[in-house]
Amino acid sequence: MSITGSKPAADERGHTGRPEDKPSFGTGRGELLVAVVLYALAVFLTVGTISMNVQGTAAPGPQFFPVLVCVLLYGVATALTIQVLRSRSIPDTRKHPGRGNFSPDMLRDLARLPEERAKAGSPESWRTYSDWKTVGMVVGGVAVFTAALNILGWILSAAFLFWIICRALGSKRPGFDAGVSLLFASAIQLAFNAGLGLNLPAGFLGGLL
Amino acid sequence: MDQLSLLLDGFGAALTPINLLWVLIGAILGTAVGVLPGLGSAMAVALLLPVTFSLEPTAAFIMFAGIYFGGLFGDSTAGILLNTPGNSSAIASTFEGHRMAKNGHAAKALATAAIGAFIGGLIATTLVVFFAPTLVKLATVFGPAEYFALAVFAFLAISAVVSESVVRGLAALGIGLALALVGIDGPSGTARFTLNLPQLFDGISIIVITVGLLALGEVFHVASRIHRDPVATQIKTSGKARINLRDIRRALPAWLRGTAFGAPFGLIPAGGAEVPTFLAYGTEKKLAARRKDPEFGTTGSIKGLAAPEAAANATAGTAMGALLALGLPTSATAAIMLAAFQQYGMQPGPLLFDRSGDLVWALLASLFIGLVILLIINLPFASVWAKLLNIPRHYLYAGITVFSMLGVYAVSSSVLDLWLLISIGLLGFLMRRYSIPLAPVLIAVILGPMAETELRRALAVSEGNLGILVGSPITVTLYLVLAGALLVSGVQHLRHRRSRKAGSQEPQELVRA
Repeated sequence: MSITGSKPAADERGHTGRPEDKPSFGTGRGELLVAVVLYALAVFLTVGTISMNVQGTAAPGPQFFPVLVCVLLYGVATALTIQVLRSRSIPDTRKHPGRGNFSPDMLRDLARLPEERAKAGSPESWRTYSDWKTVGMVVGGVAVFTAALNILGWILSAAFLFWIICRALGSKRPGFDAGVSLLFASAIQLAFNAGLGLNLPAGFLGGLL
Repeated sequence: MDQLSLLLDGFGAALTPINLLWVLIGAILGTAVGVLPGLGSAMAVALLLPVTFSLEPTAAFIMFAGIYFGGLFGDSTAGILLNTPGNSSAIASTFEGHRMAKNGHAAKALATAAIGAFIGGLIATTLVVFFAPTLVKLATVFGPAEYFALAVFAFLAISAVVSESVVRGLAALGIGLALALVGIDGPSGTARFTLNLPQLFDGISIIVITVGLLALGEVFHVASRIHRDPVATQIKTSGKARINLRDIRRALPAWLRGTAFGAPFGLIPAGGAEVPTFLAYGTEKKLAARRKDPEFGTTGSIKGLAAPEAAANATAGTAMGALLALGLPTSATAAIMLAAFQQYGMQPGPLLFDRSGDLVWALLASLFIGLVILLIINLPFASVWAKLLNIPRHYLYAGITVFSMLGVYAVSSSVLDLWLLISIGLLGFLMRRYSIPLAPVLIAVILGPMAETELRRALAVSEGNLGILVGSPITVTLYLVLAGALLVSGVQHLRHRRSRKAGSQEPQELVRA
């Protein structure tokens, strides 16, 4: 009985596949990045609160609530740092059925399900949990779209965005995708300009037509 | 019975051909996003909000009503056929539902789920119609201290009581509260954290935050795993084994029990349907053991599927009541609905029934109409919906990305908003990667400004005396219940950590993040 819906590990010998490297400091501690984001947010709020140009004299004023939020952020950032430093998250194969929104332990107790043992090791051969090449292509595509939107216009930049994401996510037919992309982008432009009266940027094409 | 005549007026407004069309569109869209794993009603409403600006508010909300329930009709389909629930609200339905499907009863399981969702939603919405005025009356005695207590209750219940990790839940809460602080402070007129950019004086648009976290963040997350996670295999729905009268008679008590579990949870900010669905499933399991039911846990019990399905939609139904009457969102989806009201310049809460009574009753009527339409399009055609699972994933996510950019650009025609959207999308990706819950961010962004205003108002009245925050029986009760829930969940976390430590002596493999 599994509330994760995970399949049993295909290869139970997974952990013997590779010689044990000596873990470097960062191994299994990628979550420190979250702590850095939290600290950065807290520092940003602190600076903003101190340098705030306060209007009015009502007490409690506009700085009161931000101070509370700052305290919360410093607190959770520190707690998270301690937690990550104390225990590495390896092997990184734990499933999170509620995506962190729900405690699987609590749900399991409510439904009277037996305790699940985390499966050790993983049968996969990847070195990093996230596929950074694909993420890079998608994020890069979105960034290029945003930068090019006003220059190339909606149709060309949206078609490019659609195409690059198909490519990144494993489509094998670039030519066909290009057609689908142009059709999709043009249909949106038509529907919006004609139907909703919303102006999407025409870009340099607008000058030609 | 004042409500009945008001509801009839609502039906009058909702039953025009054009509004029926909007319910139908909403129901189809809602079912579709429910069927597709990883998408849900919250994301669908977030993506559609900017596009629906040019609609009349009644039409938009009638469509949202269809989406709101539709997501819960669809989410069990993928769970039953693929054993990968479309949303976490369908996990509990998946256990017995997938067993039934594996044993050749896929069509029966899909029908049981659809009827369960209908019954749960129908009873809960009826309860809302009759008890909404009582809730409104209750809400009118709420002062600033009570509203602040309610907000604190929602914040901590969602971030600390039900979440997987207290620290990560509170981190998400902090991020949400911080995002909500940007912009001009209403009471004093002070610009806060705007970096002197005029575009930020109105704050970070709620659309940028929800689309970034729910849609773009999901696309980035899928990109990071699409070439690594195994693909689930789908069970064919062909074959006989349709639902018959005998099945309905067996499932009926379970549907009703599930509704009884689900309905109260809509009023509690416990994050949605997960807790009641698991409670309903656990009860059916216990009852099956007592009856010595051989199907449960082996070939799939219809009751074990019926109860959680009804519970999920009953929760959604009463959650709408809490949202409309108290202005309290009890789940991430309800939070997006609240944001939708705010986009149209309406504030859910006791005053909404006075100021926009027509719209509220039309919305409640369209919830009923939406349920009927959803039953009609789901009961006979569940296997058709399952075909959506064959859409190539790259087209699906490419389309979602383009729609996200389009929606955010449509709101303000501002490229700065698009950059902000990408940053928040990356934040959503980071949070998914490390299982930091998203629901507390959404609740904090929506309720944060209200919490701040009410806290400052209360303290201004009492001239800084903190005693006012616990000065009434309502606030004291809320804080005591909250403290009790925190205590119970704290003990729970500790107990499980201890039992896990005792049993985790397995070998480990290193995977770099």
